[in-house]
Amino acid sequence: MKKKSLFFVTVILLVSMLVLAACGSSSDDNAAENFPDKPVTLIVPWSAGGGTDTGARLLQPYLEDELGVSVTVVNKTGAGGWIGWNDLANADPDGYTIGLANSPHIITGYINPTLNRDKDLDDFIGLGMHVVDPDTVSIRPDEDRFTNLDELIEYAQNNEVTVTSTGEGTDEHLVILNLNKEMGTNFVPVHFDGAAESRSSVLGGHVDVLVANLGEILSLYHDGDIEVLGVAAQERSSFMEDVPTLAEQGVEVYQESSRGFLAPAGTDPEVVQILEEALEKAINNEEHIEKMTELGFGVRYETGEDYMSILKDDEQVVIDLKELLGWE
Amino acid sequence: MDSSMISMVIEQLLSFQTIIALVIGVVGGIAIGALPGLSTTMAIALLVPITFSMEPVAGLVMLTAIYTSATYGGSIASILLHTPGTPAAAATALDGYQLTLKGKASTAIGVATFSSMVGGFISGIALLFLAPPLAQLSLMFSAPEYLLLAIFGLTIIGSLSSGSMLKGLASGAIGLLIGTIGIDIITGFPRFTFGSMSLESGIALIPALIGLFSLSQVFILIENQVKSGKKVNAKQASGKFFPSKSIIKRITPTVLRSSGLGVIVGIMPGAGGDVGSWVGYNEAKRFSKRKEEFGKGSVEGVAGSESANNAVTGGAIIPMMTLGIPGSSATAVLLGGLMIQGLVPGSELFTTNGHLSYAIIIGFIIANILMGIVGFIGAKYFIKVLDVPQNLIIAIIITICMVGSYAINNSIFDIWVMVFFGIFGYFLRKAGFSTAPIILGMILGPIAERSLGQALVMSQDNFFVYLLSRPISVIFIVLILLTILTPLIMKLIRNRKKEAVS
Repeated sequence: MKKKSLFFVTVILLVSMLVLAACGSSSDDNAAENFPDKPVTLIVPWSAGGGTDTGARLLQPYLEDELGVSVTVVNKTGAGGWIGWNDLANADPDGYTIGLANSPHIITGYINPTLNRDKDLDDFIGLGMHVVDPDTVSIRPDEDRFTNLDELIEYAQNNEVTVTSTGEGTDEHLVILNLNKEMGTNFVPVHFDGAAESRSSVLGGHVDVLVANLGEILSLYHDGDIEVLGVAAQERSSFMEDVPTLAEQGVEVYQESSRGFLAPAGTDPEVVQILEEALEKAINNEEHIEKMTELGFGVRYETGEDYMSILKDDEQVVIDLKELLGWE
Repeated sequence: MDSSMISMVIEQLLSFQTIIALVIGVVGGIAIGALPGLSTTMAIALLVPITFSMEPVAGLVMLTAIYTSATYGGSIASILLHTPGTPAAAATALDGYQLTLKGKASTAIGVATFSSMVGGFISGIALLFLAPPLAQLSLMFSAPEYLLLAIFGLTIIGSLSSGSMLKGLASGAIGLLIGTIGIDIITGFPRFTFGSMSLESGIALIPALIGLFSLSQVFILIENQVKSGKKVNAKQASGKFFPSKSIIKRITPTVLRSSGLGVIVGIMPGAGGDVGSWVGYNEAKRFSKRKEEFGKGSVEGVAGSESANNAVTGGAIIPMMTLGIPGSSATAVLLGGLMIQGLVPGSELFTTNGHLSYAIIIGFIIANILMGIVGFIGAKYFIKVLDVPQNLIIAIIITICMVGSYAINNSIFDIWVMVFFGIFGYFLRKAGFSTAPIILGMILGPIAERSLGQALVMSQDNFFVYLLSRPISVIFIVLILLTILTPLIMKLIRNRKKEAVS
């Protein structure tokens, strides 16, 4: 009896392992002229339901229409997105595996020396940019120590001021470091687990300043629950026309988080071109833009090449902040 | 809400699409919840795109129905198979499975169904009538309160270790240590990852939970079978599913208390159903007249965790709808479902779009009642699981463990985590250690550590003065001191009395 059930369990374990192993390996060579003739896998390095995932799933049907094959969204989460990006870099460069990247996360992930990543931007090819979400600086409407950006900066030059962030090397953290570097302020980051906790901490008066992506504060802005002092972008956002950029107010800090599509390095240029064209049409589809806008996602298409150079610029920003991040 | 709005709300709710969505949400939610690894959050995330093309009310009623029903569904496998379908149902396994072993599975399922239904219903009522003040209350919680909540939660370990206190604390410490694995959010430094990228985000809770509770259970089933051929069957587990009057009378105070606690935990953005169920369980034990039954098959224990975790659902929706701040990971996804319909959280949601919002809230309340009805009708089928030959059950549980661990992050690594924790959990249980404190440590340790780091920055050097200047923190400190000191003082008094007598 004992032997029998042990044998049974072992068999079940083995069979399950084999099935799973089989799921992991499926690849065959396809010529570029037939591309694509089987489903394309889109790696999303964050869990289902997050901003990146929602954007991917919104685009999915339009991309399927353009490519003529189905697109499967696979969530590969962990290590601040790098589980997914590592898998993407190691995938067969046949065009059937593409992925979504977030900047600056993908960059800070390999520049942080404690993480010992063996991959960087050179392991990927840009396919096109999808979304740009600039960072914003906001305070509570009832805040009496400072009411505008000038007063905030002046106050922070003489006092420690707490600011929300979502972890070391995130876009929020880079905004804070850049402000301290450019303006000589004493902003102290408080790292929260996500924008939800950041927002409630500022609304409840526990943290002084809210730094968050524009899309994350839209409803608070509409309800007047917060006062947005500035947007860290080159131009004003169409989501909040009345809010000036930081640069307009003499604070030269630019920071946005962007999302775009990558393929592993070594992908056939003809295949890359097919993917690029399909993405361009799908991203610029008006219905898609409309749905994204409703969610507060600012769609901005850029070609694969331009997207890559935007990422290179982002890389430079992080490199310039290495000292302040303690990453040297 | 004026009369014209009431008629619009009723019209929205009585549409064919809404009713179908409600039924699909409830039945589908229970099934998803019962299967370990298929999480509530994942189910909602995958369905949000489908709701784009639905009517706003129908779509959102379906999503909220899934949310509450999956939370309830998690208890079914927890009670019958010691395999929690969701982390929020782990606390239910403690007493629920003991009841099953005693042949009282039908009572356990009945109590869980009743408690979940009432908990969810109460949270829905809170959402309907108390949303604005509760949303303001949620803003009073920040890092210092989360730190103290986590410490308060850790005192639960004392009540979980029915045998040896030392073993309970040791299990808790193991859980806390496991919780330190991964990148520290404050410094960005990887700890105990040994260069493995898979460990950077820490040991995932669900695979560990599945291993510790379910796979270790499989090993114990096999062992028992080999030793004595002992097994549980449904013939012993007969009886009515709807709780008897005496049981309802006994669990009512617990259900009401846990529902209130669940709503409060729900409105906090930093804590969800997994924390809520433990708090509900612990307070059920603290106030119980039959403390000795806990851990051995107490209906109050089942009621305590099950009403709390369902009450978390409505509570978590409150800050999401009023402030756009989700109270749990599942509501973060629900928020996307709301916004894609053009419904922006905030005051507008209750004025301009009031007819839709109130329809969604009332739909959620109806979903909870329907969930209870489906639960009571379905109970006699759920319990058939116990009729399945044990060899087959073992095979099914192992398969579900594997698939569930993989599905949560699409990661083979997580299967190994599950297998490791299964073997680890088996030996711990054989040695008389309880596995529940490990899970509690893994849930609360990271919350405590992160909040401590945040609170230290926020307090700007005067940490203790800062804590004492915050009303909710002071309440927590008093609760923690009471919890730790009361047993000691009681013991002292008892010893004095003994001395006086002799």
